Amino acid sequence: MLGELINPYYLQVASFILINIILGLSIYVTLASGQLSLGSAGFMAVGAYTTALLTTNFEVPLLVGILAGVMLAGIFGIIVGIPSLRLRGVFLAIATLGFGEIVRVFIVNTESLTKGAIGISGIPQLGREILDKLEVIGFDPEILGLKANQFTFLIVFILLLIIVIVLVCFFSRQKNSRVGRAFSAINMDEQAAASMGINVTYYKVLSFTQGAMLAGLAGALYAHVLSYISPADFTYHKAVEILTFSVFGGSEVVGGAIFGATFLTLLPETLRAISEYRYMIYGILLVVMMAYRPQGVIDEQMMRWFKRRKGRRQQHGTENK
Amino acid sequence: MKLNFRMFATIASLFVLFMLAACGGSNDTASDASGESGAVSGKIGVVSFMTGSGAAYGEAITNGLELAEKELDEAGEVDVELVIEDSAGEPDQALSVTQKLINSEDVVGIIGPTLSTEMEVVGPVADQNGVPIMGTSNTAEGIPQIGEYVFRDSIPETQAIPASVEKAIEEYDAKKVAIMYGNDDVFTKAGYDAMKDAAEDLGLEELTTQTFQIGQSDYKAQLSKIKQMEPDLILCSALYNEGAVIMKQARSMGIDVPFVGGNGFNSPEVIEIAGDAADGLIVATPWFTKKDDQKVQDFVSTYKDEFGKEPDQFAAQAYDGLYLMAEGLKNAGEADRDELRDAIAEIDGFEGVLGDISFDEDGDVVMDPTVLIIEDGEFKEMK
Repeated sequence: MLGELINPYYLQVASFILINIILGLSIYVTLASGQLSLGSAGFMAVGAYTTALLTTNFEVPLLVGILAGVMLAGIFGIIVGIPSLRLRGVFLAIATLGFGEIVRVFIVNTESLTKGAIGISGIPQLGREILDKLEVIGFDPEILGLKANQFTFLIVFILLLIIVIVLVCFFSRQKNSRVGRAFSAINMDEQAAASMGINVTYYKVLSFTQGAMLAGLAGALYAHVLSYISPADFTYHKAVEILTFSVFGGSEVVGGAIFGATFLTLLPETLRAISEYRYMIYGILLVVMMAYRPQGVIDEQMMRWFKRRKGRRQQHGTENK
Repeated sequence: MKLNFRMFATIASLFVLFMLAACGGSNDTASDASGESGAVSGKIGVVSFMTGSGAAYGEAITNGLELAEKELDEAGEVDVELVIEDSAGEPDQALSVTQKLINSEDVVGIIGPTLSTEMEVVGPVADQNGVPIMGTSNTAEGIPQIGEYVFRDSIPETQAIPASVEKAIEEYDAKKVAIMYGNDDVFTKAGYDAMKDAAEDLGLEELTTQTFQIGQSDYKAQLSKIKQMEPDLILCSALYNEGAVIMKQARSMGIDVPFVGGNGFNSPEVIEIAGDAADGLIVATPWFTKKDDQKVQDFVSTYKDEFGKEPDQFAAQAYDGLYLMAEGLKNAGEADRDELRDAIAEIDGFEGVLGDISFDEDGDVVMDPTVLIIEDGEFKEMK
């Protein structure tokens, strides 16, 4: 019964949605402290290439590879974050965009290591690796009435879902914590925040690094889902796409990134029937959206409305943005 | 805090519910073998680059395929149904769409995807699922080696470039060469690798290797270095837009030696952009519209009637690709993925518009490319 219900196509799309949610979150976190970063594609590339090189060349376990990718992206986040402190708004966007391009050009030019524009193929697939591990201890997907192929997609989907749930919990809790409020304060007015004793440097770099680590994680997962990466996957085009997820969905709340990534990944898939026009609709939708609802589909007000409807009184001071 | 969590739990569960609901969708199986009148029928999936920067490739490919489907229908021996899906040239979309074709549409074989980078992602998945897949425009190295089920009818750079270099050496008695290539594109990089190997195999002396990037407009620095070295021949792995500009600048700087280009250089656009400067470009191609062959001329004229322009290489390769799939289906006798795979692997000397096509043990195409040279603003066959 379960076997008939599970179609790898839907699971594949769902997996991409989950990866895109992580990317949307990475923009959300940096925007929370008022920093507009377009470097996500670069951090994604760092994460993806780190784990791809480690797992294909040195047969490092996937978990170690992915964590290494996340850490390295985080380190790059700090390195880029500190000098970028003096920049704000569009200037920061340009600087981070530059970082992304540097990463890509570096990958293209270090042919001996990264195979340049050809890309890295044969990266271990997440689902396959897990299945291999489980088979060693005598697990057979047939028990669940699934084919091996269905099982691998299901397990990847579940794994990604767990990761996303954990991340979303973490960031929605962080929002109302000391750290999240510091981010909001910096976002509203940096000088006022500093005068109230908030360590602006620390929190700005923290938020930037969190964003970098999330992008690195998404990149690492992307590499193990696709099993092939090339520098063409991480162009500025990608960076803008990632930004759109968060901006379209609403950059003020965690739910916005989730909604934006889900909706914008699903839209071109559902519009397949009118293949030639689907990206036109995508474009029109973005223009209309920005004209009539520049804050994104989901904003603070909408969240409050949801809460009020639930008959709960909002706690005083939690929504002071 | 609690509230936030509940909020999130609602969203998450809605999301899961939605996904599961979507999973319940069409999964009706088995493309029925043998339709009426005993013809083998099968669904062939197509993954093509139809929207975005490479939409022109996708258009040519789908035109070629649709023409072939129409002709096959009229002939009545094999009944193929095309399911065409767009990948927008993105590997992740190509992968999703392939999953759709394999699992939802239940196709017996797949044609595409357009780009080699997409094939690197899609090929292993098709292979794991045991679905024969035929690339009609992938020329990078190592594509058919992905797996048993992966084939291609597009001649790789590793076959095309040595053929053109060899012809050029014969004709011009070349000994010293300079190499130029675009290093940020998978296509031109693969072409360069093939050129380097060809130059080494044929005992040419490599004077210098210069690189450039996609979209560059000034190549004088690279070209003046090349000019100093006085090569007999320039091997240039570029796409036509950059390549044409390179030739134009080279000629204006007084470099008049012939150029040998890769597959991406092979386009009538070169003549349009570079004009007289394009004379002396040598390319090897699987497809030549003026070829003295009835089959080719018939294809060119029907294609012209149907779509109002001459078929390019991509259209021709796609056209032959579907014919090869149909040939496989006919020989297999039923729409079975494994049978089809074996039948395609056994195809030997199939007469297509590209020439006589066979496959080697990897599933790579084996055929003789035609070497062309531009003379007086026109592509001519080099005999």
